[in-house]
Amino acid sequence: MRRQLRSEFAKLTTTRTLAGVLAALVGLAALAVALHAYGLSTSQLATRSDQRGIFVDVAVNLGALFAALLGALSITSEIRTGTIRPTFLATPRRKTVVQAKAVLVFATGVLTGLAATGTVAGAGTLALDLRGISVQLTVGDYVRLLSGGVLGGGLVAVIGLAVGAVIRGQISSLVTLFTWLLFVENLLSDLPKAHRFVPGALAQALAGGDRDGVLHTPATAALILAAYTVVMLAAASLATSRGDVA
Amino acid sequence: MSGIPPVVAIERLTKRYSSRAVVDDLTFTLDEGQIAGFLGPNGAGKSTILRLLLGLAAPSSGMAHILGRPFAELPEPARAVGAVLESGDFHPARSGRDHLRVLALAAGVGPARVDGVLETVKLTEAGGRPVRTYSLGMRQRLGLAAALLGDPRLLVLDEPANGLDPAGVHWLRGFLRAYADQGGTVLVSSHLLGEVTQTVDRVLILSRGRLVADRPIADFAQDDSLESTYLALTTAVTA
Repeated sequence: MRRQLRSEFAKLTTTRTLAGVLAALVGLAALAVALHAYGLSTSQLATRSDQRGIFVDVAVNLGALFAALLGALSITSEIRTGTIRPTFLATPRRKTVVQAKAVLVFATGVLTGLAATGTVAGAGTLALDLRGISVQLTVGDYVRLLSGGVLGGGLVAVIGLAVGAVIRGQISSLVTLFTWLLFVENLLSDLPKAHRFVPGALAQALAGGDRDGVLHTPATAALILAAYTVVMLAAASLATSRGDVA
Repeated sequence: MSGIPPVVAIERLTKRYSSRAVVDDLTFTLDEGQIAGFLGPNGAGKSTILRLLLGLAAPSSGMAHILGRPFAELPEPARAVGAVLESGDFHPARSGRDHLRVLALAAGVGPARVDGVLETVKLTEAGGRPVRTYSLGMRQRLGLAAALLGDPRLLVLDEPANGLDPAGVHWLRGFLRAYADQGGTVLVSSHLLGEVTQTVDRVLILSRGRLVADRPIADFAQDDSLESTYLALTTAVTA
């Protein structure tokens, strides 16, 4: 397993994909939170709950999306380029490959969550301050945003890896993830009792979201999201072990 | 009987997709120091057999063993077998050296070996360039370098001469002969009859997934003998 971890780390650091995706995420997160901070009326940004809601929405929605994208890419880019063949020849026990990828993808998701929440916290606070709006958030809010964003990013990234391993096609995997996170979860927000159990809402609960349709108990949210991750990873392991490699 | 397993042992190997058998009841063994060539028209099952042998596809029935075990159960697979299945199994943005480093780490091979195999395939200078800048012949040689990382006892090569210029083909031929003379075993698939004649010790002719001939290359010493036999066997079965 150590060998595979080192190999997966080398894969991650020998192309510019990770740096490019993180740079795009930081740019988008800064732009999105600045647009919210300047575009909304002062009455919509006055309270601690308003400010926290916007920070959590922007940071977690973007962080989860990019984390899932990186997770899916970690296996679908290998299938697309054909490097999955030498990977499986070097490590015929395919479950070991999936496990090593899951560890590295979790770490990548943590980094992604940190980039998203850190950018939103920094740029959002600066934008509110520049607009002359008093920042109501406490140190605890920032800590919860960053720590929840980091854990949520890691877990959602592994779910992205699992989706990629089961679907295998790069474009179809990314379309599935984007459709779920951007469209289906939005539709479900009209049904708060159901919405609170979707991965995106669970990640928001971890980061301090307190709206309707988000669980208010972060420990429960963490357990449910971790359970989804374990089940999806088991499905990925099974799918990867059984299929023929073209 | 010494009890030492053959390097490759394939017994009653069959692979079906739906009801169609693409490999049909195949049996043969390969011993140390042999260079064996799979010949057959497109769709004869050559690549599928190699994938079955390397655990990339599961057989419908029968078995394919390397050094007495299925590939997936080899304790150190990279030291047992090296393979080149496609000339494009690379991330285009990764350098040749990094591609080898990634595989070396997974196989537990030291970094010095990466430079060694780059030197063997004459890619030392190009090793730092992204693979997308490589010619087809350079990619073939990089694939061979990856196969050699673990200093394996068996090489499995699918159409290795594709994209090589005449000098590259000449180099590959000499390399494989030297490798076999040192006790290595080679299983190579090709549709280039002339190339096979000059490289292999033994010819296995496939048609529609079935082994229709398994003979030493010396049997085909006469001019055009291999071509006429190949055409007679493969045309007879496909007609």
